[in-house]
Amino acid sequence: MKKNNVIKICLAQINPETGNLKKNIETHLKIISAAKNKKASIIVFPELSLTGYFLKDGVYDMGINIYTDESAVFRDIYKITEDMGVSVIAGFVEKDVDFNFYNSSFCISKGRLIDVHRKVYLPTYGMFEELRYFKPGKGFGIFDLEGVKFSVLTCEDAWHLSSSYIAVNKGAHIIIVNSASPARGITAGLNKFNSINMWEELLSVIAFYYRSYVIYVNRVGFEDGIGFSGGSSVFNPSGEIENKLDYLDEGMTVAEINLDLLNNERFKTPLIRDENLNLTLKEIEGILKS
Amino acid sequence: MKIKKMKKELPKIDCYNFPIVYKHLLNFIKIEVAKAGVNKVVLGLSGGIDSAVACYLAANALGKDGVAALIMPYEKSAASSLEDALKVVKALGINYYIIDITKQINEYFSNKNSGIGSDGIKVRKGNKMARERMSILYDYSYKLNSLVLGTSNKSELLLGYGTLYGDMASALNPIGDIYKTQIYQLAKLLRIPESIINKPPSADLWAGQSDEKELGFTYEAADTIMYLLIDKMYKPDVAVSIGCDKNLVYKIYEKIKKSQYKRRMPLIAKISERTINIDFRYLRDWV
Repeated sequence: MKKNNVIKICLAQINPETGNLKKNIETHLKIISAAKNKKASIIVFPELSLTGYFLKDGVYDMGINIYTDESAVFRDIYKITEDMGVSVIAGFVEKDVDFNFYNSSFCISKGRLIDVHRKVYLPTYGMFEELRYFKPGKGFGIFDLEGVKFSVLTCEDAWHLSSSYIAVNKGAHIIIVNSASPARGITAGLNKFNSINMWEELLSVIAFYYRSYVIYVNRVGFEDGIGFSGGSSVFNPSGEIENKLDYLDEGMTVAEINLDLLNNERFKTPLIRDENLNLTLKEIEGILKS
Repeated sequence: MKIKKMKKELPKIDCYNFPIVYKHLLNFIKIEVAKAGVNKVVLGLSGGIDSAVACYLAANALGKDGVAALIMPYEKSAASSLEDALKVVKALGINYYIIDITKQINEYFSNKNSGIGSDGIKVRKGNKMARERMSILYDYSYKLNSLVLGTSNKSELLLGYGTLYGDMASALNPIGDIYKTQIYQLAKLLRIPESIINKPPSADLWAGQSDEKELGFTYEAADTIMYLLIDKMYKPDVAVSIGCDKNLVYKIYEKIKKSQYKRRMPLIAKISERTINIDFRYLRDWV
């Protein structure tokens, strides 16, 4: 519950077991309970937190149509959110009626499904092969939790700056970035992987210039030698990191999101208010016509 | 030097990035070993820097009871190799076994074994020793309920400077994405005995063997080039244009291409509609 314009969000940095839905659901339930004990009302898990990331052909085994009775597999998650009065954002493989698969994240709030974000930008280069298995989502929605507007961008979505542009201009105050980002690249003199550095710079910029909170929840653990880098963090509208988990270990932290600070920052530097959407639209139409 | 100016150097493992690299490698060993349902590894300890680094990482990840070292000398192995291997096991307090492989190698190559011939005998003997050691490692893997830990670095894997199904064989390898130049930096930060760090790199398959003499270039020169060709994905001409030696760039590029087969699984003739590793695609960590 929101008190004094503060909401408490738990960042759940877990190590999902690849392909083991049952075990991963248990992990989610344990963390949801622990987060509730720490007074969190919203719990955010990483990308594909219920299934693991590099599923390859296992995508076929993991797909769930959440709008049919197949969603019964998540009944314990529905129930715990209802019993505890909390909201949960978690990642799963979604299957639609036409048997397309999506890299999706649901938001289940107090026993009800209130949002599903289908990842739009599916990396298919280097070590990634998402477009081989998944169909891209069609856009970035916003939804309301405790009177605050949220939008979910999944991993690569956030690397396209147009995604966060759309989210904030649709009204998002808090951008959730859930990811499964592999640790890679080292630099002399730098105490973190290059990939982590890229994320921190990017999300700080999004938070600052889009005058929003950014909640980054990344996973840890290994899949076939590829290790995920953790470092889940909250970026406040000044672009500063407020809560941060270790880079390579499992963990959870409960962040206090202060909406008065958001109000303050948006008043002092009203970049979103001044955004000229018509100009952007005109330019984009021009680009598409050329 | 031009390359330096363009910041296209192989990144150093230094005191700043060491803590995260170290933790990452230890997590890799812990997590991937546990996924196999065991809690131990066994590795061949040669007395050289690569297996010493792998051994330090494994002992720090799994504890001293989680690692067993096999020291497998041949009659012509340098005496210092055994001494250096013993320094590692003593420093770490791990279990070790010394298994001399001279008898079986010499028996196979003896005159009694008619038709064995002597063509390319030096390389054949070296390969045979590497595979004999692999064979013993896998026997101990079963015996000790342990995974075989790989000790090949990125430089030798890319150059193909290893024996297929010999020293290249393992269940998991913590140092296969680390160039030889970086192995030295890592070894210093791990405080591996100086005598191991300071001796010239050698497979020690015959007396006086030297990696760099055999290859015809230094690891330092090769690693700079391989970093550009592989990590940065530069075409050879681009590497040359930013200051690398042309002959060396192409020599290394050819070595990498020619040894690609060593880094892949055997080819399977596709007959069915779903073929192993072609379109039957799961992680090894498949649950």
